[in-house]
Amino acid sequence: MSDVTMLREIDPAAKIAPDAAIGPFCVIGPAATIGPGTVLDRRVTVLGHTTIGSGNRIGEGCVLGAEPQDLKYAGGRTFLIIGHNNVLGREVTIHLGTESGGYLTHVGSDNTLCDGCHVAHDCYVDDRVVLGRSVLLAGHIRVCTGAAIEDLCGLHHFVTVGRFARVSRRTPVRRDVPPFTVFGGHDDDDTCPPAVRGVHEAGIRAAALRGEEEKELRHALAELFDDEAALQTKIEQLVNMGVEGEAARLCEFCQRSLQGVYGRYRELFRGKAPPEARRHLPPDAAIEPRRPAP
Amino acid sequence: MPTISPNAVVEAAAELADDVVVGPFSYVGPHVRIAAGCRIANNVTLTGRTTLGARSRIFPLAVIGAAPPGAAGDGECILGEANAVREHVTIHAGLDRPTRIGNHNLLMIASTIGPGAVVGNQGIFDNCSSIGAGAAVEDYVRMSGFAAVAPSVRVGAYSFVAGYVLVERDAPPYAMLQGFPVRVRGVNTRNLKACGFGEDDIHALKAAFRELFNGDGAAAGEALARLDATAELNPCVRRLVDAVCAAARHAEGAP
Repeated sequence: MSDVTMLREIDPAAKIAPDAAIGPFCVIGPAATIGPGTVLDRRVTVLGHTTIGSGNRIGEGCVLGAEPQDLKYAGGRTFLIIGHNNVLGREVTIHLGTESGGYLTHVGSDNTLCDGCHVAHDCYVDDRVVLGRSVLLAGHIRVCTGAAIEDLCGLHHFVTVGRFARVSRRTPVRRDVPPFTVFGGHDDDDTCPPAVRGVHEAGIRAAALRGEEEKELRHALAELFDDEAALQTKIEQLVNMGVEGEAARLCEFCQRSLQGVYGRYRELFRGKAPPEARRHLPPDAAIEPRRPAP
Repeated sequence: MPTISPNAVVEAAAELADDVVVGPFSYVGPHVRIAAGCRIANNVTLTGRTTLGARSRIFPLAVIGAAPPGAAGDGECILGEANAVREHVTIHAGLDRPTRIGNHNLLMIASTIGPGAVVGNQGIFDNCSSIGAGAAVEDYVRMSGFAAVAPSVRVGAYSFVAGYVLVERDAPPYAMLQGFPVRVRGVNTRNLKACGFGEDDIHALKAAFRELFNGDGAAAGEALARLDATAELNPCVRRLVDAVCAAARHAEGAP
């Protein structure tokens, strides 16, 4: 807090670490917590029950912890938790959770969210994720560790993006993206609809797998996405072969997506708290029964 | 007395109802009128000849009433009651005619309304959607993320515009609009049910859509003429037929 004469409005009840830096024209609400070493650029707004960890860099014009755009939200006490060492570009918006979706929006650590990204209510972004410019995450989405989503992608409610997967730019994603794959395509090109397009080599390198595990994973990827119509049979074959490690997790992921609705596993949590909510919710989060809308 | 943050700038000539709240670092220009129950968050810009109806909620960093780029002078912008204008939304003021927005609309993050556009009631406009200059969007329309309506185009009531779609010619009411170029893909049954339409109306509309729109989603002239000449048409189908006829006249140069 270098310059106390600077124009900004910080609620006296907000908990801000002594060495956090808050830029001019920032507005910090009473229930906000900001950890050490976090830097807020100009015109950043932090509202609601929002906890921001240490070492984050928040770009100009970001709005964190505003109320969800979900019409089901009834004004309850819901949360946004952001971990450590994230980089947020300009005008990134992240909303609070909703009562019916598990009360919590969660962004992990070491993520990069480029300009204009939106993370909606009840999303879970794990660690080391990269979201390109103006990526829109709709509600209840899970983006797993190491995934990269390129510019201008729009993701449907309840989608899961697997570990170390990549989504090509401007892809509309309406179903789960399996781990270690490249997913891409467009509605305006009948020859190239959104689908799994290949293996994400950089993702496999980033995951630093053991030699044997990598070989097994590559085999599983080749088998599963050679002909997606036969996915269920292929999963069973691989499981019967006794695959282990990442290959087994890939099979489990695909099986779950098949069990979901329209290829979206998390649809099964529609209207209830997903398993992650219990793990990440703050211990003092007194969950109120849902109130009728005013 | 309105509650105005000491860090906000509200011009002396602006008219604010007694219970209006204006957050820090917001600017309210001299020709702005704000009705009762409005809540203006922080870092908001309200400029031009802008009127906000009762119970409107303006979220951080929204800009309402800015003249379109390069324009000389102020424009006009009239918003109805109980609209929610979310973060980073831009609503341009109309120069030759006011930009009008009805009641109970939800403009989600970073959506844009062009100068002179007319938006009805109860619409939901998803993130980054955009409505071009002079376009008209009727009641209960739902637009998905990145969807756009081209300038001077009309989108009929109860229609759904899918993500990334550009509506570049007049679209009928009650329709699902998808694809590139945009096509009528059927009746927006879900929205109609939610809005309380009966099974008979939906059934009649489905039959009319099957007759009217071929694989390209373009209206078939023959079927249109036959439906138009039918006496005692279902009122919803009548509205559909009238809208498709008006769209055809618009395409030929009528206003």
